[in-house]
Amino acid sequence: MSIIEAITKKREVRTLLFLVLLFIVVGFVNSEFLSIGNIQNSLKSSLLYIVLAVGLTFVLLTGNIDISVGGTLGLSAAVSGLIMKNGGSIIFAIAVAVLIGAVVGLINGFGVTKLKISSFIMTLGMLEITRVVQVIYTDGKWVENLPVAFKKLSQVQVGGVNVMILMILIGVILVHLYLTKSNKGRYFSAIGDNMDGAVLLGVPVKRYVTYSFVISGVCSALAGLVFASQVGFISTNAGLGVEMTVIAAAVLGGVSLSGGVGSVIGASLGAIIMISINSALVYMKIPAFWNAVISGALLIIIVVIDAQLNRRNEKRTEKERMRARVLQKSEPKVPKEEVSIVYGK
Amino acid sequence: MVNKIPKWNLVLVLVLISEIIVFGLINPRFWNISILLNSFNDFVAIAIIGFFVTFVIITGGIDISGGSIIGLTSVVTGILSQLVGLNIWIAVIIAITVGGLCGLINGILIAYGRVQAMVITLGGLLLYSGIAIVLVGVSGASSYEGISGFSEEFSSLAYGTVLGIPNSVILFIGMFLIAYVLLHLTKYGRYVFLTGINQNAADYSGIDTKKIIASTYVLSGLSAGVAGVMLTSYLGSARADFGSEYLMSILTIVVLGGTLITGGKGGVVGTALASIIVGFLQVGLQMGGISTQYIGLATGLLLILSVALLSVSAGSKNSIKKLLMIKSNIKEGEV
Repeated sequence: MSIIEAITKKREVRTLLFLVLLFIVVGFVNSEFLSIGNIQNSLKSSLLYIVLAVGLTFVLLTGNIDISVGGTLGLSAAVSGLIMKNGGSIIFAIAVAVLIGAVVGLINGFGVTKLKISSFIMTLGMLEITRVVQVIYTDGKWVENLPVAFKKLSQVQVGGVNVMILMILIGVILVHLYLTKSNKGRYFSAIGDNMDGAVLLGVPVKRYVTYSFVISGVCSALAGLVFASQVGFISTNAGLGVEMTVIAAAVLGGVSLSGGVGSVIGASLGAIIMISINSALVYMKIPAFWNAVISGALLIIIVVIDAQLNRRNEKRTEKERMRARVLQKSEPKVPKEEVSIVYGK
Repeated sequence: MVNKIPKWNLVLVLVLISEIIVFGLINPRFWNISILLNSFNDFVAIAIIGFFVTFVIITGGIDISGGSIIGLTSVVTGILSQLVGLNIWIAVIIAITVGGLCGLINGILIAYGRVQAMVITLGGLLLYSGIAIVLVGVSGASSYEGISGFSEEFSSLAYGTVLGIPNSVILFIGMFLIAYVLLHLTKYGRYVFLTGINQNAADYSGIDTKKIIASTYVLSGLSAGVAGVMLTSYLGSARADFGSEYLMSILTIVVLGGTLITGGKGGVVGTALASIIVGFLQVGLQMGGISTQYIGLATGLLLILSVALLSVSAGSKNSIKKLLMIKSNIKEGEV
């Protein structure tokens, strides 16, 4: 029993259970939903969001937020797309995309740590700026006719499993290990959990906050490449509104917006849930316009329930602590003789 | 007298004046007062919501669902008046009430459910725009063209004038006065500030801070409802995606107006001035022949620069204070 309790207390497990439940319920209505082909498709279309969610988790762990992911995605995808279209090599294009992501992240980090701008405002501004730069750079046109070799990258299969899925899943697990097991990886949640405490422990807070934004920027750029490879063209509004979906996914997966709590696995599961709802609606023959309502309502319900559960747990531990203290006090520490002396006076 | 006006507001007034002069020099048509007054139509919706989002941000929260409530109220107005056949003014009142209800849901979940404002209003953003899309889908209206065919009477709401002043300007001033009086001249306004400065202290001094917090979201929802109706009247049709791109602009004017994003400090006057600055900036850039694509760049830079400037000036003020204190301490030591 205690093992089950311990497992269900973990936020990621609850998210996973919810995902399994979603698949089972929809599977009852339409058994095709459970086919391996569909599951792989769901995974494939959520890859982009998983990559974004992993990067965003770094930022969220430090207690900041990054709204600019959609803009970075669009800009890096467009620039690298144009390079490839004009005959540049794929590797060069990928390097440029990553560089753009890193630079945008560096600017965000600089604004937040040095200029002390609230991360929400800073990245909101950068979102707008990157969008405009993308439109200027591409002259407001779509980037089409990407080289076939690049488009094929997202379709390579080994043993019936898409290679990109495998690569990203392994990547998520490695990042998870880094964040939970290594000393430096735990700096991120330490900063978000208690910034003053982290400073006292000698964590280079500003540097790691900047790192988190750079990582998020690079992940957005990688997501842009995934997007370009999967879709095959880059429209001027590529990545529009992605940021809200990704934040919602991370929150669904148990990453706290106040920092310090959450894992990349949870965030990735949240991303899969957000995307699976789309295809679930199709399989349940519900019109697609219900999508936003369902994901919005789901987000609110899960978050509110989670907050109440957390608060109850906190109250319980507080009560136990109080009780322990009362027990300690009830044991007389003062020797009897002294007491009698005190009372005698 | 001058000392009483916050310095940031003076800066904003200077920026506004220089903006008018510069754009006027580029294109003299910018100095035409009727054009300037009519341009209020383009940003009055943003400004109205901004006034009341200022309240929310002063209490230390944030409301990003305003834009989606615009779409919802627009669709509700359209469906009730055009497809159900209700009287247009009853439809308008119901739509604004719906906006208030959305705000109430936000407020209750944030204040009493103690969930982060950002998360709830993000959920609200998805939910309310989702409901609008569902309403359009269920009613069978074209989601692209929207619901149109409103009466003359209704479109005069945006295009009419009183004594030669466009209705949008009058609405702007009216909502500004309501927000100003509420925030700066009433007990309620003091409570809003107190809640933002220190919620615990406010709680201990007998203020029902939860109610105050929830009420600010209701106000913000109601204002989004009014904005939605205004926008529907101005554009002549009801669509679910109205206001979806307003998130950035609303926050820009509130922050540019000098309201601290962390709460406790700010004002409606700054928001009003900032909304006019951003609004005129767009008109001016368009008149100056700069393509609309670049306008986002200007507002994005404006947002970041204004916040950086505000935080740097606050920081330098603090460090100067510290320096002065150290100096006075040294002097005392010498004596």
